[in-house]
Amino acid sequence: MKKNLSPFNKNIKHGLTHFSLALIGLFCILPIILIGIISLKSRMDIHRKPPVLFPCDTPTKSFDIRACRWSLEGYQLALGMRPDPDALLGFRLTGNIVRIYLFNTFLYATAASLLVVGLAGAAGYAFSRYRFRGHKVLLTAILAITGVPFLTNLVGLYQMGISIRKSALPIDDRVFLVLVYVGLFLPLSAWIAKGFFDAIPRDMEEAALIDGCSPFQSLILVVTPIAAPGMIAIFLLTFVNVWNEFMAGYLLVAKNEYKPVMFGLYDFMGQNTLNLQVVAAACIIIALPVILLFLLFRDRFFSAMVEGSIKG
Amino acid sequence: MALKLARLGKQKKIPDSLPFWLLLPTVLILFIVQIYPTVYTAWLSLQERKPTGWIYVGTKNFERLFRSSLFNESVGHTIVFLVSFIALTMLLGFLTALLLNQKIRFVGFYLSLIFIPWVISTIISGQAFRLLVTPDYGVFAGILQDPALFPPNGISVLTDARPSPWFGSFPFPPSKGMILLVIASTWRSLPFTALLILASLQMIPTEIIESSRIDGANGWQIIRFILVPIILPTLVVTIFNLILTGMNGVAIIISLTGGGPGTSTQIISYLLYSLGWGQIQFSQAAALGLIIAVVNWILILATLRLTKVEEAR
Repeated sequence: MKKNLSPFNKNIKHGLTHFSLALIGLFCILPIILIGIISLKSRMDIHRKPPVLFPCDTPTKSFDIRACRWSLEGYQLALGMRPDPDALLGFRLTGNIVRIYLFNTFLYATAASLLVVGLAGAAGYAFSRYRFRGHKVLLTAILAITGVPFLTNLVGLYQMGISIRKSALPIDDRVFLVLVYVGLFLPLSAWIAKGFFDAIPRDMEEAALIDGCSPFQSLILVVTPIAAPGMIAIFLLTFVNVWNEFMAGYLLVAKNEYKPVMFGLYDFMGQNTLNLQVVAAACIIIALPVILLFLLFRDRFFSAMVEGSIKG
Repeated sequence: MALKLARLGKQKKIPDSLPFWLLLPTVLILFIVQIYPTVYTAWLSLQERKPTGWIYVGTKNFERLFRSSLFNESVGHTIVFLVSFIALTMLLGFLTALLLNQKIRFVGFYLSLIFIPWVISTIISGQAFRLLVTPDYGVFAGILQDPALFPPNGISVLTDARPSPWFGSFPFPPSKGMILLVIASTWRSLPFTALLILASLQMIPTEIIESSRIDGANGWQIIRFILVPIILPTLVVTIFNLILTGMNGVAIIISLTGGGPGTSTQIISYLLYSLGWGQIQFSQAAALGLIIAVVNWILILATLRLTKVEEAR
């Protein structure tokens, strides 16, 4: 029996596929859209009983697009916007979220990602190009480390953090936290890097070696430029992961000035249990950078994630 | 030596110290922030905090843990959570991947849309789902709290207690908070799951599916007897990833339900967190951490073994 779909059936099938995908897409995006709507409401509309989805009702009509009372109050409060005649745009941002937390996290994420790229790149190259004693054992061990739940390690790391703070070591919470992030995301990244290097043919390095490059020179001058796209993928993946990480920052940082953004946001939620528009605005402000990063470099993210999981 | 090198000829594997130096920093870092803390946690699980310092108490912490009713309850919650979370995520993820694998337009657009939850941090995800059902002010609070729709008193997801269990003390049926937790966790893990399954579906040559269609297989038979067996290793890897995510998912519980209502969304990792940082019982938290690690290992080895068996068939 041979089945050939008529054009009509094919259209129905395509329509159904599009419909189902749109439905799943809606499920994925809906919570974010709802947070966006809440962030644009004013305090008055947040505390309505029963709650209304859109702040667009009038005494006579339940929905009137001209009567919408959208408000930027949430964003102004979350950012701590204060008028300042000396500032460039006429206001200053005095809120902790921008001034301390976002700044810190940007710093931690950049530092940790750069370190991870450097270390994972070196390790991945070694694993991909050399067969040495303990090659397989080490590779398996690095994967095996990821099998230990991070929370289990955090019990030990927390006690280590306390000892470090008491000791005279020149390591503050920030350095310790970045090191922990590097250790957390390095194992998977090393595997991803190995996969990327495996996909690069060896001919060019061999030519460089024959022409008299040392192995180290060929790594820096020949291999690194070719491997750059893969390394950028690892950088982006680690950056987003560190940006979004909560538990380590929450449990290992004591000082307010050193808190990463997710910890700051959690504090902020506790302080604003009734001002839902402020909490929602803070969530949007904090999530927006990584959403944009993802939309810009979508395929790079995908290549790293698939490489990391299928091979691993 | 020179002879050996010459014989290797074109392959030229000159033994040099480069790989050692390339790997040394990675090994050092992993030793300091991964292996040492694990060992430290293991050591801590056998100690007890006394004013004079840590004192060796043998397996006392484990015994105390096994005897506590909260631990037994949390194990039940973990089973309910993991089974429903993984089943729902795999089902939806497989379906999404199948749909995205069709030759249709706008696949890139759908992929971006479906992937947004992955970029949203667990803290924000939890808060987002919390805002949906917050009593009185949440988006769906008006509908859920309507006694006409949900008699007798309407539903309050964040405060309704767990229904009385059907099987002894096993926490089933789950509380509404647990259902919300499963939905929120599925929402966040769906993109990754769908991507992994899609990537492996795309590696299947289309001839296989075409020829089976010519042989008269219907859609379900193609999925069941051709697609699933081929991508089984990926499915296992994905499940293994979901087990790890689910077992480690404390942050989303902290921001979504805080373990409540009552203790009904306390899975064992949340219990670890509340033992350690809520009750300052780090030795017991360490003991629980070790138990979770061992369970993780057993699950991982079991899934690996399972794939081996299937592949050997």
